[in-house]
Amino acid sequence: MATPILALQDVHTYYGNIHALKGISLTVNAGEIVTLIGSNGAGKSTTLRTISGIISPRQGQISFNDTRIDRMPAHEIVRLGVLQSPEGRRIFPRLTVLENLEMGAFTRNDAVTMKEDLERVYTLFPRLRERINQKGGTLSGGEQQMLAIGRALMGRPTLLLLDEPSMGLAPVLVEQIFQIIQDINKQGTTILLVEQNALMALAVAHRGYVLQTGQIVLSDTAQALQTNETVQKAYLGVE
Amino acid sequence: MNTRIRSSLIGGVFGFAIALISGGFAGILAGLVAGLINGFSVPQAEPLNNRAGAVRQGLVASLIASVLTILGIVIRSVLIDPVIGTPLNIASLLISMIGALILGIPVCVIMCVIRTEPPARERIGLAIVIGIVLVTYPWLDQFLNLRFMNEVIPVLVFILMALGLNIVVGYAGLLDLGYAAFFAIGAYAAGMVSSPHFGISLSFWLAIWVAAAVAALFGVILGSPTLPLRGDYLAIVTLGFGEIVPIAIKNLDKVTIHIWNYPLLVNFDITGGTKGINPINRPWLPVIGEFSPSAPTPWYFLILGIMLISIFFISRLRNSRLGRAWTALREDELAAGAMGINTVNVKLLAFAIGATVSGLAGAFYGSYISAIFPESFRFDVSVMLLCMVILGGLGNMSGVILGGIIIQFADRLFLPQFSTVVQKLIVASGNVSLREVNFASDFRLLLFGLTLVLMMILRPQGLVPSGRAARVMPTADAEVSHD
Repeated sequence: MATPILALQDVHTYYGNIHALKGISLTVNAGEIVTLIGSNGAGKSTTLRTISGIISPRQGQISFNDTRIDRMPAHEIVRLGVLQSPEGRRIFPRLTVLENLEMGAFTRNDAVTMKEDLERVYTLFPRLRERINQKGGTLSGGEQQMLAIGRALMGRPTLLLLDEPSMGLAPVLVEQIFQIIQDINKQGTTILLVEQNALMALAVAHRGYVLQTGQIVLSDTAQALQTNETVQKAYLGVE
Repeated sequence: MNTRIRSSLIGGVFGFAIALISGGFAGILAGLVAGLINGFSVPQAEPLNNRAGAVRQGLVASLIASVLTILGIVIRSVLIDPVIGTPLNIASLLISMIGALILGIPVCVIMCVIRTEPPARERIGLAIVIGIVLVTYPWLDQFLNLRFMNEVIPVLVFILMALGLNIVVGYAGLLDLGYAAFFAIGAYAAGMVSSPHFGISLSFWLAIWVAAAVAALFGVILGSPTLPLRGDYLAIVTLGFGEIVPIAIKNLDKVTIHIWNYPLLVNFDITGGTKGINPINRPWLPVIGEFSPSAPTPWYFLILGIMLISIFFISRLRNSRLGRAWTALREDELAAGAMGINTVNVKLLAFAIGATVSGLAGAFYGSYISAIFPESFRFDVSVMLLCMVILGGLGNMSGVILGGIIIQFADRLFLPQFSTVVQKLIVASGNVSLREVNFASDFRLLLFGLTLVLMMILRPQGLVPSGRAARVMPTADAEVSHD
């Protein structure tokens, strides 16, 4: 069994009085792609926000490489190597593509490795190289998604959190993005992927968790989930 | 050709207005200003290093501007002066006209030549021209008998504050409507430690650091409760601070504090209440001695020096990691956090550094007028500063300076003089009913408001937009996730 680099134990998160996560426990092992699938309002994004420190859990433990991170402020968690491409992409609209990517390397201050990483991002996303001096806000949806992922990669993540990378994209682009996600993983980055597009997510992931109203109802290998009857009915549209 | 005519028209209109309103030898200054503005706004149409072309362009441009300026001088001397009781003086009229031409045309030509140089040399050239104008201004003022110096110094104080506000609003995108509070805090901090008020009589050179430190501290204190707020909510809270500080200062003159039953303070006078603090020490330097209220030149160079140092540090900060963090914060706070930026510290630093600049301005101002009163730091100061920042261009220092110059000179020189001239014309025309109207004070705020509204409609990015126009009031982002 591989060693978990991220472990959530009975995590409860609230928005005011709304009990959004009702005891989530999950692990992500080094080198894996793990996906979190579920319908609208199941708590997928909340789980990512809780991991990245944007909201603190009211109860439970989150540890990353044996360090407790559930009470850490967001910027310190980034420094540990947990980077995210947030929901809705949230690129900096009036900065150029290059400036956006440089912002991603904010925690590092090393011109040489930054050049290498820029090169790596441009190799993964050749489109970004063509758009290098264009303002982020003028990119198409797919390009913005690429920029959001590229920006997160600039921080040299050990664990990359991706929130709905397929949102609002044409099917061709979705395939392309998921191909790149697999490439990033093969280069050694562990990925936790939150997706509504369960079909695509399970196709690239090693393992998966199914979330329903703030609770994990199923967890298995991606392959097993693909053939699971409940999953097929609820999320894959197979009758 | 079109843009060239437009740029010389801009210069000409400024020259015309100054010559018309100020009268006397101000026409010569008008020529200089017209030439400078003309040179700045002239487009870089000629190919680089084409000196002859640039000279020709400068001559054409300055021709139109000069005609307008001289028209202003003539109308003032021939039509207005006799009516308001100054007899027509042909000699001074001729001197003004020739002076305006002698200063205006070469300045415009030189500016045009500089504008065709490659960017690095262009910047040095512009800096030299502006430097010469700034350094020689006190003597020009004396020579032309303008007596503008006592207005120029407060103008510089306000521009310094606008530069500080630009850090908070322009760089970090935090809309602060109570910025004048830090001006008050800086002025009072310096005043308390360099006056007979507490019997602490530090020199100005030490007091100004105390002011900067205290203002920075209050920047953090007033900034921290606003941390979770953004946009409109932040604006309202800072507006509240801007109102609270002067009122608190006004009422902190009889402080009584009991700890259990032991009286710690009884009727202790912290701020001097409505009386303010008076007198405040003036700076002292060898050779010059104590700065005197009747000799403005040392004060002028002192505030100019403080400004230059501030501009240097602010532009260094702008290009530092902190500056980049401010940019990220302004663009998208949540994404900035996701980049590993400590948004709390970055916000507090913006407040603290902005407040420091304002504190320096306050310390200087208190020492300059040698007294401070709670009434000097009202809400309209904050509004005026915001107008300066927005008019010039959020996030762009040269824009903010330009906006400051325009609004401040309009407020302190142009409007009062305009008002006097109109008043005299009204008296001369015998119309009694309009005699009570004071254009300077009655229309001031109306004009600020009008400026803001017009700018928002016509040119929301400001006169000199920054590379990326900043958004002052981001729409309140829905913070609850949609998963």
